[in-house]
Amino acid sequence: MSVTAPPQAPAETGAALRRKEDTRLLCGQGEFLGDVYRPDLKHIAILRSPVAHARIRHIDGSGALTLPGVIGVFTGGELAAETGEFSHHLPMIPTLRQITWSVLATDKVRFVGEPVAAVVADSRYIAEDALELIEVDYEELPAVSDAEAGLDPEAPLLYEDWGDNVFLFMPGSHGDIEAAFAGADGVLQERFTHHRISGLPMEGHGALGEFDPATGRLEMYVSTQVPHTLRTVISDISGLSEAKIRVVAPDMGGGFGNKAHFMREEVLVAVLAMRVRHPVVWQQDRTENLLSGLHSRQQVHEVEVAYRDDGKILGLRANFVVDVGSPELYILGCAPAIVTTSVVPNCYDLQDYAFELRCVATNKGPMGGYRGYGQPQGIFLMERVLDLVGERLGIDPVTIRRANMIPDEPRPYVTATGSVLDTGSFGDQLTELLEAVDYDAACGARDEARTAGRLVGVGIAQMVEPTAPNIHGLAGRFGGYEMAMLTVQPDGRVNVAVGTKSQGQGHETIYAKVAAETLGISPDDVEVSDGDTAALPYGIGTWGSRSAVMGGGAVIKAAQQVRDKMAAIAAGMLEAPAEQIEASDGFFRLGEAAIPFAQIAAVAYLHTFLLPPGMDPGLSVVVGYDPGNTSPFPDERGKMNVAATYSTAAAAAVVEVEAATGVVTVQDLTIVHDCGTVIDGVLLDGQIHGAVAQAVGQTFFEEIHYDENGQPLTSTLLDYMIPTFGDAVRARIIHRETPSGLIGGFRGAGEGAIIVTPAALAAAVHDALVPLGVSITQSNLSPPRLRALLRGHSTA
Amino acid sequence: MKPPRFDYVAAGSVGEATEALASAEDSRVLAGGQSLVPLMNLRLARPSLLVDVNHLGALSGFESHNGTLRFGAMCRHRFLETDPDVRQKAPIFAEVAELIGHVGIRNRGTLGGSLAHADPVAELPALLVALEGRVIVASTGSERAIPAAELFAGPFTTGLEPDELLTTVEVPAHRDGDGGAFSEFVRRHGDFATAGVAVILHRDGFGACEQVRVAGCGLGPTPMDLSAAGDFLRGESSLTDGAAEELGRRVAAAADPPGDVHGSKDYRRELAAVLAADAVRRAWARAGSAGGA
Repeated sequence: MSVTAPPQAPAETGAALRRKEDTRLLCGQGEFLGDVYRPDLKHIAILRSPVAHARIRHIDGSGALTLPGVIGVFTGGELAAETGEFSHHLPMIPTLRQITWSVLATDKVRFVGEPVAAVVADSRYIAEDALELIEVDYEELPAVSDAEAGLDPEAPLLYEDWGDNVFLFMPGSHGDIEAAFAGADGVLQERFTHHRISGLPMEGHGALGEFDPATGRLEMYVSTQVPHTLRTVISDISGLSEAKIRVVAPDMGGGFGNKAHFMREEVLVAVLAMRVRHPVVWQQDRTENLLSGLHSRQQVHEVEVAYRDDGKILGLRANFVVDVGSPELYILGCAPAIVTTSVVPNCYDLQDYAFELRCVATNKGPMGGYRGYGQPQGIFLMERVLDLVGERLGIDPVTIRRANMIPDEPRPYVTATGSVLDTGSFGDQLTELLEAVDYDAACGARDEARTAGRLVGVGIAQMVEPTAPNIHGLAGRFGGYEMAMLTVQPDGRVNVAVGTKSQGQGHETIYAKVAAETLGISPDDVEVSDGDTAALPYGIGTWGSRSAVMGGGAVIKAAQQVRDKMAAIAAGMLEAPAEQIEASDGFFRLGEAAIPFAQIAAVAYLHTFLLPPGMDPGLSVVVGYDPGNTSPFPDERGKMNVAATYSTAAAAAVVEVEAATGVVTVQDLTIVHDCGTVIDGVLLDGQIHGAVAQAVGQTFFEEIHYDENGQPLTSTLLDYMIPTFGDAVRARIIHRETPSGLIGGFRGAGEGAIIVTPAALAAAVHDALVPLGVSITQSNLSPPRLRALLRGHSTA
Repeated sequence: MKPPRFDYVAAGSVGEATEALASAEDSRVLAGGQSLVPLMNLRLARPSLLVDVNHLGALSGFESHNGTLRFGAMCRHRFLETDPDVRQKAPIFAEVAELIGHVGIRNRGTLGGSLAHADPVAELPALLVALEGRVIVASTGSERAIPAAELFAGPFTTGLEPDELLTTVEVPAHRDGDGGAFSEFVRRHGDFATAGVAVILHRDGFGACEQVRVAGCGLGPTPMDLSAAGDFLRGESSLTDGAAEELGRRVAAAADPPGDVHGSKDYRRELAAVLAADAVRRAWARAGSAGGA
């Protein structure tokens, strides 16, 4: 049957709706982990390594046990004897070191902040007092605090049996790189550096566990983006069946990819809940968060670019060295770096591309996922290369981009690394950007300012982004599908449960909208729950800009199935073929005749004698949704289509640099963004503004610092600087809507702005500094870092 | 991030406070608590006894008396920023107080607390040095004055004895021809300054510069007296751009800044030059106008 979109639909896709969750969240009635309370709740504090690299000779917790209020003191060796181990579940990658680790360190510590022992006590105060009474005898070892230094044959070894510190070596060669360089008019050699930052969700990691010995069931409340897959990992390590474990992710104060990993501490809470037989809670404090929860972005790229004098890039060789810190993190901390390598060709027709990736283990906090997930670095590389080659050849940034751009036809276009691009026109997108910012006028104003001695710059950048990816074979076991449950209740109200997890994005609103639109009812009549393993068999969670695409697709698919059944019931009652029934505005309609949605629901559950012969009662489905177009593993040439669909964006920035202080003022930032069909314009703009704020943060404010001994220097928010509201930049946002071929026409929306903005800001700062001859090849443009670049240049 | 155990007493008088301070090893005064309490939560400060002086009316208030401006140690930053009397008679205090933290911090943080904490990047200690002020401290049964030049011994270290309570802050009252300005560099609104420079100068009735006082925060282990850098301005009756920049160069050369995650030594010196030039321009203009600062 076909149901046409009702013209009087209460909430059409694309129209703004007040967020369903806002009343609850804004009135302080949300339930975050810190709001979850159990009588007799005990508190966990974790003793963390104060040294970057050491062998643990001995741990004595007996002193801590004597403190009144202490329930138990637990060490790594003791727990390891009774629990399973973490691994990356990637035996298929031969060049990845296969390691296992436990919930607490056992033989060695490898970064400041690594968990060594745990105390359970009546309060967090007492637990922290008890930590001071645990004696640990460390045999300190020299530390590796820099990835390139870690590659030195003389470097200390984190894992003696490896023989070096290379956690992952991954080469790739696509096209004919030798021929590309042989045919080049010139070769650009450059080195790009990306600094270490943290995703820094306002609410840190945390978990509460309660074990019922009578039933053998474990209930976990965890601030996680991935409740179902975390349940699998808890099952692995605790030995408890997944059927006995319920994981609930309550309201969350951000995640940004940091909470798409399985933290040792989360599983520790499960293990301790089973041991002490009290409900127990651990909430990461800010220092714990900055030391271990998690870091991102730090990479060094050495590139060689073969180009023709007309600006065409013929081939690119890259050597990526990535500082992954401690590798003991599941999902694999190398995964963002693998993504970096795969997105380098960006939206340009570059088929001859070769690289080597080395992910180096160092004595620093684990590297994990953070919004953008390796893509900001890869896009930065390609966008800087185009500007730098253009500068050599006297070709302006727009012309050199158009000269290399993937043409509009054909689609799909398969990139060098195997991405199957289903995007709209890159050329039209760029044109729309240039018109929006009046690019020629902006460049003219820059020239005038320059004449007056001011350092004003204009920069542009573009990106294409794999969204709704499948990381089964490259990050560990969990693939690219999603599930949803949809139930129409007897009163006609609807419950939806999804396997994704909102951390503040407004998923209740968007899922209610897409379900309501499919069912022809109001979003007010749809209740959405997410993050509860008891409500849905499985889910892959929220990361990789996948929720609208995969979760939205699953919800629509479920709603279509239920709607079709309801239409069949209505058809029976109206004595018409189901194909002629339309669902709109709360009715199932046949011409003038209409049966209320709620009445069909009542038939399905209560007046079941009205059901068509042979039809089962009830209106509830659980569906799995997998577009089926992603590759779980690379092929024999290393190519894989990582994503179900691709989003695009282009950005232009105008900046002014104050030479004396290194302060950059962003005068204008404009983003043209295409994530296919827009579900809710207000929420989408929120995603982009948030990503822009984080891009401004990573470019001008944030940096995780370590000294040469691996001691962290940024362990509070006095030292790790994030932008405040006053430092955020208000971007102008323009949406293009090129629907994908997937259900709903959606493409991912959460990350594009943080991927493209750093490259645009760098381009603009570079342009501003042209009069001084300073080239921007680094991601960190904070005032002291920029000032260091300017120092020694004339008039600066 | 929870503090270790400590005892607490709310003092009812200055005498009770000083007695309590003397009664315990590692006792500490709790004023606004904006620095101390976070340090306790990080377990970097571990007082055995907190002596709360928030209820001592004797430590509040501002008055002008015989050529001296006298502030109670418990004057909140927000009071300095907004009180009409302070804004009129000691406008440089209002200018500096507004640079401290955010409103919530300024509502609690105190003048005496900032001076006693002696954070080398804090503004008020540098201002006190520039103004050649002094503090009055009380201990059981006695009282003494400590000039600003002797108060700051090192980072987070003062000349106060453990049983002494800072009660009063005194600076010379404003004269005609005085002008002052405080310039600082912060990465974000409300941050501790990466560096800051106070310039206080006096111009005689003909506009000639008689005295230049310069002090900095974030430019050394203590709020540094950098006044010697301004000696060359004495006798000048106009301030050229070149002279302002020369002061900046001299201040930068005299500074001994730390290098840390917020900026290297070189970076802070460069900031000092920019800030000193800016502050002296503004102070000069104010000294030449009726109101001054």
